[in-house]
Amino acid sequence: MIQRFDQLHPFVSFFYYFGAIVLLMLLQHPISLSFAFLIIVSIHIAYDKCKSLRQWVPFIFITGLFILLLNPIFNERGRHVVVEILGHRVTLEALVYGGMTGLTIMGIIALFVSYNEVMTPNKLLFLFSKIMPQFAVLLMLTLRFIPLMKRRLDDISTIQQSKGITVVEGPWKNKVKNGLMYVQVLLTYSLEEAIQTADSMKSREYGKHKRSSYEYFRFRSMDVFAIILLCSFLVISIVGRMNGHVYLNVYPVMDSMYMTSLDMTFLLLFCLYLAFPILVQVGGYIRWHLLN
Amino acid sequence: MAFIELKNVTFTYPNTSSPALDKLSLKVNKGQFVILFGPSGCGKSTLLRLLKNNIQPHGKLSGEIYMNNQLLIDEDATEREIGFVFQDPENQVVADDVLHELVFGMENIGLTANEMRNRLAEMVHFMGFQALLNRKTHELSGGQKQQVNLASVLLMQPNVLLLDEPTAQLDPVSSRDFLSMLVRLNEEFGMTIIMAEHRLEEIIPIADKIVMMEKGSIAIEGSPRKALHHIWCHGEKAYIPSIPSFYMRSLKETGHTQIPLTVKEGRTWLQEHKIPKVNNELASISVDSKEIIKVKNVYYQYDKKEAAILRDMNFSLKKGELYALLGGNGSGKTTFLKLLSGIYKPQQGSITLHNKKMKSWKRQDLVQRIGYLPQNPKLFFLQDTLEKEVRQTIEQWNVSKKAADAILYSLGIYHLCEKHPYDLSGGELQKGALACLLLRKPEVLLLDEPTKGLDPVSKEKLASILINLTKEGITIFMTSHDVEFVAKYATRCGMMFDGTISSEDFPGKFFHGNFFYTTMIQRLFRGLSNELVTEEEAVRAWNQKE
Repeated sequence: MIQRFDQLHPFVSFFYYFGAIVLLMLLQHPISLSFAFLIIVSIHIAYDKCKSLRQWVPFIFITGLFILLLNPIFNERGRHVVVEILGHRVTLEALVYGGMTGLTIMGIIALFVSYNEVMTPNKLLFLFSKIMPQFAVLLMLTLRFIPLMKRRLDDISTIQQSKGITVVEGPWKNKVKNGLMYVQVLLTYSLEEAIQTADSMKSREYGKHKRSSYEYFRFRSMDVFAIILLCSFLVISIVGRMNGHVYLNVYPVMDSMYMTSLDMTFLLLFCLYLAFPILVQVGGYIRWHLLN
Repeated sequence: MAFIELKNVTFTYPNTSSPALDKLSLKVNKGQFVILFGPSGCGKSTLLRLLKNNIQPHGKLSGEIYMNNQLLIDEDATEREIGFVFQDPENQVVADDVLHELVFGMENIGLTANEMRNRLAEMVHFMGFQALLNRKTHELSGGQKQQVNLASVLLMQPNVLLLDEPTAQLDPVSSRDFLSMLVRLNEEFGMTIIMAEHRLEEIIPIADKIVMMEKGSIAIEGSPRKALHHIWCHGEKAYIPSIPSFYMRSLKETGHTQIPLTVKEGRTWLQEHKIPKVNNELASISVDSKEIIKVKNVYYQYDKKEAAILRDMNFSLKKGELYALLGGNGSGKTTFLKLLSGIYKPQQGSITLHNKKMKSWKRQDLVQRIGYLPQNPKLFFLQDTLEKEVRQTIEQWNVSKKAADAILYSLGIYHLCEKHPYDLSGGELQKGALACLLLRKPEVLLLDEPTKGLDPVSKEKLASILINLTKEGITIFMTSHDVEFVAKYATRCGMMFDGTISSEDFPGKFFHGNFFYTTMIQRLFRGLSNELVTEEEAVRAWNQKE
């Protein structure tokens, strides 16, 4: 089997996403942010050929563009005036700053889309059950209940439709009244049925003893290795940032975009951190071909 | 001493005058398979719940319950010995994922991860769950869900298993699978099992003891043959499965030692007697050939990506029929019913009512003419008492109060008017919904699995109601899994397969060629007298022989 990022321990995935968001917000430099966005898109390509990202594309670009344009409109600070429109100064600083914020947000949204794909409710549940076992049960029940309620509401509406009580036809007032009636039935019915669920939980001794949790995922050597690698990249990048590397000062005086070789090194580390899911997959791919 | 013993147990629910259990005494030995049956409300569930400490109902309890010679009062020691499986497959499920559901009980008692892994591996092998493990629980069929529930309880390693009508909501095939699992547990592991169940047909051969309850006390108990004979002489005959019933009807006065319980035993017994090859006249009931509903080349699919559930469906429903549609789970019976009721619209083809397309009917007129009784009648009710529901229907359809009362009386549910629908039993609930449907004087009644979860007595009552309705000129179309019921009462049956009705005929003709999908009596007489399908016919044939 080709090793993939989503097969790693949930803690590793969670840590990666957490660190990636921290770094995205700290390392504010147009070059690093552009690289970051490209890498995140490639993660999507490697994961599922952008299937999940595709429906977010309009939202991501509109948000990014919106922020890029909004900043110069409200912000006149800066020394380098690019153009003056109707007495309003559009400065280079404002554009760069807006661009950086826009890119950050685009990156974070894209990252969250990937997070949603990789961190399935199951994995989240597993992580939580370690810390808060009772909360995990609550989460589990909720996860089951929301789709269940939806299915029940569908049932109610078909059955009531066959009785001639609908929310699709008739005067507006009746529709609202019938709709509320549906919801009322849904609630009474669900509460009634939930008593049986409670009985079944009680008969399986829920709440009587200290809960343990089943280990759906095991921490393997691969996971340890990944965590050490991610941790060191993260720490080094943060240390570099504290020393002022891979960061563009915009105000009060904008620095030059030029990157020193030390900057480049930190940028490379940052990119390596972000590209971790791709590296895992490429590594797995190479190993597969070597072994076969 | 017995493993579980109840001595003079009386139990009264709060705010009720009569006790739910009345001076009940029962002994169960270790490793026994005990079946409780009786009409709904006879105290089966109460009895089972009293045996399991942490779900004991509130109320006044007197008498003593012993388990393993220990009094069963807030005793943590006995608690883990008992596992409980409930009736509804859906509502017992806690997690949205099969694996989570299975380990839920083990997590609750704080087992270590390693122990859980071991037990789970064993159980998954035993039950053959490999394929289900990572599925979502809501994707499973009712039967699979119930097996998952059983497994989750078994993983806690109980010595006694209590089951409250576990197969009432399942179709015959899945309930047979479920019961065979119980048989294995009983025979291979010596697990003590106490189960409440209506359908005796499948389980009576393997039960050690059957207990018939009535109004909170035990009416008849004993080994299956003895008890059956006793019921035959003194009790409600509807509970007796068709083969022993046929045996006792045809032989009139006999001892109980020879009663055949299975098809195999029945056939051995029949071979001793020469049954003449009766050419049972296949009674073709003449129906008014006027077509009410006609379905032509209908296609229906839920999702673009999925295969069509109905393909090139052709069908016609004639006036005065009681048509029963059989077929496996997920074969599209319910979908077809919803199409007939006009809730769903076909994507291709046409459905006509009185030669006028469904689409061109006004919704109100369509609803008035076609009554749809869903599988789960609970969702039918919008109001919090039966009376209010009836009143709402009266207002909606301009019916007189008198007519409404007459219908309630004739269905025998007038005294239940004040009750909340959810407090009614399955049979009563169904009649309540039926009453509301009949108020609008429909021409066609569509019933989705009306016999599901009903005890034999309620089933007979339902049958007589349906027959009366057809006599009044109402056409009935029902889906069912209940072969015995269909063979006895339907005027025409169809088999749903591969998205269409694959065969269709009068019950006698329909069943006599079938091998699996047929009645017990037909299996008994296979090769001897193929045309015999129902018990009545078999008894008639027997009497001809004399």
